[in-house]
This record gives sequence, structure tokens and C-alpha cells, in this order.
Amino acid sequence: MRRLRTVLLAVTLGIAMPVLPALAHHGWAWTEDGFFELTGTVKSVFVGNPHATLDLEVEGVVWRVELAPPGPTMAAGFTEDTVKPGDEVVALGNRSLDPNEKRMKAVRITVGGKAYDIYPARVPAN
Amino acid sequence: MEALLGSIEQLALIKALKTSFFAYPVVNALHILAIGALITSVLLMDLRVIGVIRSLEEQPFVKLLRRVAFWAFGLAVLTGALMFAVRATEYAGMPLFWIKMGLIGLAGVNFVAFSLLRQPAAKRVLAGVSITLWPLVLLAGRFLGFVL
Repeated sequence: MRRLRTVLLAVTLGIAMPVLPALAHHGWAWTEDGFFELTGTVKSVFVGNPHATLDLEVEGVVWRVELAPPGPTMAAGFTEDTVKPGDEVVALGNRSLDPNEKRMKAVRITVGGKAYDIYPARVPAN
Repeated sequence: MEALLGSIEQLALIKALKTSFFAYPVVNALHILAIGALITSVLLMDLRVIGVIRSLEEQPFVKLLRRVAFWAFGLAVLTGALMFAVRATEYAGMPLFWIKMGLIGLAGVNFVAFSLLRQPAAKRVLAGVSITLWPLVLLAGRFLGFVL
């Protein structure tokens, strides 16, 4: 049984270790602290589980803008009918710590002058 | 392919799951339950075949765990398919998703080979392959949740 315990421990550690740095896109640990604003045109929108996303095209580059899970996103008034491909959108939030990654998490989406506060508690005071 | 994936996303059940507050986390939890049961039963079976566990008689032990593993795999496939369907096009475009499917395929081939072989030494080697493959499937699946 001692050998079993050693093998199981080794297997568990082997699985757990490479996973730890990957605990990223949930929460805000993977983003910069300062706010970041991105203006682009909508390529696609998804409001659903596990979380909503908005793909914005900025100067030919597609950015993935992460929103909240569908519940809070829709509670903010933002649905899949709020934007359509080609619409200009401003996303305010925090971008990835990795400067090469075209990805951010938005706290507020502004469409045609109307603001949708996806994470109201995180929107900076105006 | 694109059209098929798109129409899966449009199924009434899948559209309900897509924005559900309750059902999606339940499906997700059942997937985790299934994975837990599957990996546990597979690892215990493999350890018994390899000979690390000797305290229990091999035949009934493996027979019981194989039944658990089958049911767990079935539940994992069902719940996994439901979550896949919510964003079918997106997942199908991710290399990591196909790596995961490939690893499951390899584990399946390994299982078939294990069932056909009779030599204990060869079976022990295949059990070692299984003990490596299933945690890799788990790892690929977990990473999928963080790259979407």
C-alpha cells in the first residue's frame, strides 16, 4: 500500500503542477490592473455559457473581449441582439498581462453612445 | 461541417442550455462527477493490472471497476456533448479540442488492444499507457475551459 500511495501522489502532482499557471481566464488575475479601452467593429457576439464574448476587429486584428457569464451580462441589458456585425463598439476593461495576446475582459461596453455595465462594481467612477 | 455545427447550436435544447442559469452548471458538475469516477476507476484498474495493488483479487476487482468506468465514460460523453453543442463552431475550431478527442481515441484503441491481448506482460504495458493517457485527457479538457 505504501507503493500505491507514492504512485498516486506522483500522478496527482504530475497533473496538478502544469495546470496551476493556467488558472487564468476566470477572474481577473490574468489581466493588467489599469484600465484599457478598445474601439473596434463587431465581428461576432456570443451571449451564453460559460461566459459571453465579443470579437472586435481593430485595424485588421481580431480581439477577443470577454464579458461575464450570460446571467450578469443580460442583466446589464446586453444580449446578442444588442450588437450586430459591423457595429462600432467601445470596450472598457482590463487587457491581458501578455502583450502578445489580443484579449481583454470588459467591465463596460458602449454601443452607439449607450453604456452597458457588465461588471458595474468595477466600472471606474466617471 | 460548419453548417452542421451551426444547426447543432440552434437546437431548442441547446439554446436553452446556452443562457440557462441553472442547467449549464449542473451539466458541468455531472461532467466533473463522471470524469472523477472514470479516472478513479481506470487508475485503480491499471494499478491492479500492473501489480501495484495486490491486496484484492484481480478478476472481480477489474470487473466491478470496468462497469463503473463504462457508465462514467457514457455520462462524460453525454454531458461533454451538451457543453460542446452550446459553442460547437468555436470548440471545433480549437486544436486543443481535437488533441483531447485524439487522446480519447488513443485510449479507446488502447482499451481494445488490452481486451484482445492475453499475455500478462503486454497487458501491464498497456495498463501503463492507459495510466498516462487518461490524465492527459483530463489535462487537455481542463485547459479547454481556460482558452476559450
